[in-house]
Formats: sequence, C-alpha cells, structure tokens
Amino acid sequence: MTAAPATAPRPLTSRWWSAPVPLARIAVVRVIAYLFIPVDVFLTTAWVRAHADVPTEWYAPLLIGRVLHLPTPTHTLVLVVQWALVLTAVAAATGRAPRLLGCAVFLLYLEWMVIAMSYGKVDHDRIAFLVLLAVLPTIGRARPRDRRPSEAAGWAMAAVLVAVMLTYFLAAWAKIRFGGWDWPTGSTLTRAVLRRGTPLSDWTLEVPWLLTASQWVMIVLELAAPLMLFVRSDRARVGLVLFLIGFHLMVFAGVTIIFLPHCIAILSILPWERLTARSERQAPQSLATSSSAAP
Amino acid sequence: MQSSLDSPPTAEPEVLRLTPAGRRSRLAAVVVVLALLLAGTVWGDDDAFPFGPFRMYSTRNDPNTPVISTRAVGLTAAGEEVRLSGGQVGLRRAEFEGQINRLREHPELLGLLADAFEDAHPDTPELVAVQMVHRKFELADGKPTGDYTDTVVVEFDLEDGNS
Repeated sequence: MTAAPATAPRPLTSRWWSAPVPLARIAVVRVIAYLFIPVDVFLTTAWVRAHADVPTEWYAPLLIGRVLHLPTPTHTLVLVVQWALVLTAVAAATGRAPRLLGCAVFLLYLEWMVIAMSYGKVDHDRIAFLVLLAVLPTIGRARPRDRRPSEAAGWAMAAVLVAVMLTYFLAAWAKIRFGGWDWPTGSTLTRAVLRRGTPLSDWTLEVPWLLTASQWVMIVLELAAPLMLFVRSDRARVGLVLFLIGFHLMVFAGVTIIFLPHCIAILSILPWERLTARSERQAPQSLATSSSAAP
Repeated sequence: MQSSLDSPPTAEPEVLRLTPAGRRSRLAAVVVVLALLLAGTVWGDDDAFPFGPFRMYSTRNDPNTPVISTRAVGLTAAGEEVRLSGGQVGLRRAEFEGQINRLREHPELLGLLADAFEDAHPDTPELVAVQMVHRKFELADGKPTGDYTDTVVVEFDLEDGNS
C-alpha cells in the first residue's frame, strides 16, 4: 500500500506536483484545519479580537489593505468578521459544500489576518496555513473512507509542503538579508530570551556560546529545508512532522512563541488515510453481527 | 447517503486524474505565488504581507550593544505606572514598537489610547500622561551584565493635550 512507484518523481517537477494522495487524507486534514480556526480566534490568537477596542486611528494599513481598499477595522467590522469566520469554518468542517464554504473561509481568514497584522506587527507563522486554506477548496468532496488517490489532492498537499519548506528556507534568506552573513555570531537569541525568557530558558543567558551554537544550527537547518521535499514513505513523513513539531515546542518552552497555524499546516504532511483505513478494517467485523448500515 | 461499502475493500481504487486545464491552472497558480513570495523575500518588507520576507528574528544583535525592550505606560497623578503594552488596550508590545516612528510624529495617538483605557477601566485612577519607555539591558560579550537604563522616548501630556 505504501510502495512507492518504480521511479519516484523528482521534487518540483510536474509529476511531483500531481503525485496522487488519497482523498481520505484530505477529509481528515480538512477537519483539523477548519476546527483549528475557532481555537485560533478565541484562544490562541485572541489578541486579534482585541483590535476591535483599539482606536481606529491606530490602524496602519498594509499594502494589501491599501491596494484592495479594505475597510478600516471598526469595532463592528472586527466582530462581524470574527463571527462570520468562526461559523463558516465550523460549517466547512462538516465537509458540506467544500468549494463554496472553503473559499469563504479562506477569504474571511485572510481579512482576519489583515486585521491582525495592520497595527504595527506582522507575524510570520501564517503563510503555510493560508496556503492550506487556499488549496482545500480546489479538491472538492473528500470522504474519510474514500481511499481513491486524487491528483487534485496531491497538488494541494504538495503546495502546503512547499509553503512549510519555504517558511524555513526563506527565513534563512531573510536572516542573511537583514542580519548579514554574520547573523549566527550575533546575540539575537540572547535578545529573545532577555525579552521573553521563561524559567526553562533563562539559564541559557549564562551560557552565551550555547545560544550562538543554536543560531548556527538554526540557520544551517533552515537552509537545508528543501530536503524535506524528498519525504515519500509514511515513516519519513511521521519522522519529519515529529522533528518539526519538536522544534516548535522547544521554541515555545524557551520564549513562549509558537507558530501554531504553521504547525497545523505541518500536520497535513502526515499519512492520515492510515487512520481511517484502520477504522475501516475494524468495521467489517461489526457489520457481520449487525446488518445496519454504517452512518 | 451513498455508501461505498459495496465496493470490494481489497481492490486498488482508480486514480482521479486532473484535466489538462486543471493541471495548467494549478501550475500557473504555483508560479505566481512562488514569484510573489520570492519577490517579497528579496525586495519586500513586512508591509507586503502575506508575501513579505520571513524575517522573524532575522536582525542581528551585536554581542556588545544593549537589548532594548519597549513598554507603554500611563502615569497617574501620584506618579504610579499603569502598564498599557501588555494587552490592556488591545495592542501588544511589538505593535507599539512597530509604530514607534509614527508615535514620535503623532504622540496624540497615545492620548486616544489613554481615553480607550479609561473607558474600559473606570476604576483605575485618572491618568495624567502616557509614555513610551525604552529599557536598555547592557550586554558584554553576549552576556547581560544586569544593568539597565530607562529612557522616555515619547510622552503625551493628557491634561494639556486633551480635555
């Protein structure tokens, strides 16, 4: 079932982009992505909602807001977008009208992000999640038990994988562009721990060489990120996801910053169809004793 | 409603192919988004969100230059500080830092914030001024020396400016 084709497509070729992925994986990824939105809005980035109470004079529109003439986020506008987004996302999580509801969720989330980022601080943990929301509606209907491989699903998952990869690779590029080639020998992590340290990380201030070494490891791994496009087997996918999530949990322990939407996008790398295949394998036995159809 | 139970579970399901048009439009979308992301990384800045550079912690801090932490505070008549940059008025510390140049030119924005804060917290004593304060932590060879100095970088007097 996991056997790779005789000649595996090389990353970024046309065949690689449309290497089929079972629809069952999409069915699971979709539920995770859409149900994460209420969590994000109410819990993990509740500060976006707080912009409703900020005087509108503080709104500093981004390029996207100026080009598209997006409205100034008044108190009412923020609340309307918030509730429309949450309700649409929950509806989309049911799998109904995947194209229509999926497009609506993507546009509302994009506007929610414009409200989030237009007050002087732009976060960089959203791109892969925005790509995930953008590509989900292109797949159409996908049921948890539908094991048919789909090229449309393959393209969508490839797009998310590339977005995840670029978040690291282009982060290294930005470090070289803004920090210079000597970024790794600076005190950037010292600054981060001084400003946002936790009991788990404050001790590192006493060991500056360790933070410098971490900077070298970070930039080298980020530059190596394109290697993740070679993951093919299910085992490699699980390993990659554990490694990436582990890194983000470590950062969270150190400076209480977590790239949560990005982590949700990372979860789409996992072979979720094995989960639904397992529940399917158990189903026939129960069907033998009861003739009632599965829901 | 249609159940897929009647299909034999062991048969290898057929692959759902993309149409040539679907394939072309998808590859075109990939090219456009990749081009925007690369352009944002090479020439853009945070303003170009969502295509701006991934510049989290990308600036280099010199091991011997102080680390600056900014805070916005309201001052009561008694001289007490009321913190405003910890989410009390709906803005995060980094958002104050990101708009610092605008605040230098328009300190009255701090006055609007004080009004919003007092509306939301009627119990706290009246504020007489709002300040943006830089705290500089001294570093020596990348290690904090434990010394710091506070500097007021923007101040707005509420009694003159408002009421």
